[in-house]
Amino acid sequence: MLADFVSNLSLGLSIAASPEGFLFLVIGAFLGMIVGLFPGFGPAAGIAVLIPMTFGLEPTIAIIMLAGIYYGSMYGGTITSILINTPGESATVASTIDGYPLAQKGRAGPALVMQAIASFFGGTVGVILITALAPSLANFAASFGPSEYFLIIALGLLMLTTMMGDNKFKGFISALIGFAVGTVGVDVMSGQQRYTFGSPELIGGVYFVAVAIGLFGIGELLYCIFCGQHRQPAKRLRISFRDKEFWPSKKDYQESRFTFWRGSAIGFIAGVLPGSGATLGSIIGYSVEKKVAKDPEKFGKGEMRGLVAPEAANNAASAGAMVPLISLGIPGSGATAVLLGAFLMWGLQPGPLLIVNDPGFVWGLIASMYLGNMILVTMSIFAIPLFVKFLDIPYVNVVPVIVLLCVIGAFAINASIVETWILVISGLIGFAMKKYGYSPAATVLALVLGSMAEETFLQTYIISQGTMSLFWERPVSLVLFIIVLAVLLAPVLIAALGHARQSKDTLKRETG
Amino acid sequence: MKKWFAAALLLLAVGYTIYGLSTLTLVTSSGRPAAGFFPLMIGVLLVLSCAVNLWRDVREWTTEKQTGAFAPHKPDPEAEAKADAFGVDAHAIDGGPEYARDVVIVFVYICGFVALLKPVGALMAMVLFMLAFLFTFNRAHVVGNVVYSLALPGFLYGLFKVLLNASLPTGPLGF
Repeated sequence: MLADFVSNLSLGLSIAASPEGFLFLVIGAFLGMIVGLFPGFGPAAGIAVLIPMTFGLEPTIAIIMLAGIYYGSMYGGTITSILINTPGESATVASTIDGYPLAQKGRAGPALVMQAIASFFGGTVGVILITALAPSLANFAASFGPSEYFLIIALGLLMLTTMMGDNKFKGFISALIGFAVGTVGVDVMSGQQRYTFGSPELIGGVYFVAVAIGLFGIGELLYCIFCGQHRQPAKRLRISFRDKEFWPSKKDYQESRFTFWRGSAIGFIAGVLPGSGATLGSIIGYSVEKKVAKDPEKFGKGEMRGLVAPEAANNAASAGAMVPLISLGIPGSGATAVLLGAFLMWGLQPGPLLIVNDPGFVWGLIASMYLGNMILVTMSIFAIPLFVKFLDIPYVNVVPVIVLLCVIGAFAINASIVETWILVISGLIGFAMKKYGYSPAATVLALVLGSMAEETFLQTYIISQGTMSLFWERPVSLVLFIIVLAVLLAPVLIAALGHARQSKDTLKRETG
Repeated sequence: MKKWFAAALLLLAVGYTIYGLSTLTLVTSSGRPAAGFFPLMIGVLLVLSCAVNLWRDVREWTTEKQTGAFAPHKPDPEAEAKADAFGVDAHAIDGGPEYARDVVIVFVYICGFVALLKPVGALMAMVLFMLAFLFTFNRAHVVGNVVYSLALPGFLYGLFKVLLNASLPTGPLGF
């Protein structure tokens, strides 16, 4: 077991630590930090927009760079959470609760250093757990049939839409839109063309990269413009690690020593669960820490544990989300869906057989995450003054960079003007979705998984001769089926119970 | 606009389902699901959910109209930042400043940029887009705008065309 672990990791390190691998890992981590810095521009958008820049790279190196952007954004997103009370992305929202009050108390330096250490800790614990769990899960998943795969996809999408609170119905519609767009092209089972309107460019289907760049890149950008970010002046902030007050105290470390572990464990579990991801992980991490604390009244007023918990959690979650992606080929979030799309673009088929068929890729990616976390913690501490300087750039100058990257990137993929127009239309739809409470992430996830969902659904239908009994005849399917039903019915039951209690109370008040 | 977007989605869902029904085979001669089976399932679900969604949005709009909830509110930047990060429409919370006109302008510029890609080439289209955008939203810095409009497209063109060997459209001048 240990020998396997060591040999797998050495294989991975030989790839990730090669001069080319290391260079693109540093570039990915650096770009990820910058992506995280800009509010409204999350990791999904960052990866989607920067996919075209990985052309010409070897697939493993390209994915190492894109994964670096993914977890690098978790580090970068917290800087603005702490300094200007504006989270760079949703997974760092919980970090503002205590991060910003810490900065207001004059402890921005210690807060930034502690968040970097917590991120490193969470990320590293997450990667260790991936190393241990991904091969076992892949072994276990090798016995999965179409019914299990379909239910995992359904569960992932359900969890993602359930996360949307009051807007979960719109999240459901968003997922259906993704499935509908995914049906364009040639049907793999019969070879019949669907919704191509005679256009040869649509025979291969609507290319996901153009849609993802449009929804996340242009859509987010238009929304930021709608909110007037392009009319706001740059934030001029200065911070130096030479300041006396920059480093955390001994007390900060001592008080947070268990928080690192708790946050990492909670975050990793949240990350592995399909659909939940880093945002939920960080919020649960924060809530649990507040609950177990002997002095919960300190939270929200600049408590270091309140910053460490969500930071360890969101980084562990971003690592955890790689487990279902690598071992099952099923992403749990918008960002990992874009990563899956990149896998497919490079001809890699994620799933239980990926570790067996392409160990160099899988272990190279995992090893790069160990190295990436080390690079990011160093960058996060010693290059904070540099990253803070990026906030000096007015948003009006950032807009053209994003537009040019999106349009030129979308065109460059297949030299197709049709795909470029698909990007533009997706951008407009993405803006409306964001504005009116729909979920672009659910659309992209459903688009990427659409063909797999259709294939597994039809296989289940055919094998069970139209009864769909396969869903409850196989043990793993049955468990998944019960979970899916529970996720579907729980909100209805809770609402019904709430109504019943309310009417009981009203009746009591009226009679009493 | 929310209800119009919901109405447009319903219309598209109906179109998707009808087009699928009229062009695709649902079941093979041996009784197995064919190419139209899954799209029909998705289409029916989409039509039903979009119809309910439209009904909800119209009801919400009517209630807001009756209660006078449309009145402008005072902006709260903190609430907006947090709501924005949660992916919620922050402006629905406090009615903060909205720049719909700017969105239209930028979108028209992007459409113009894409339309010009083939006729004038990628480099020229990028430069024109940047000049148009910067001279609309950043008029105070004339020299900076011109330098930036030449430097960034030049850098990106070099990156994609030379370094990444990507196929970008060339204009009459050969770039």
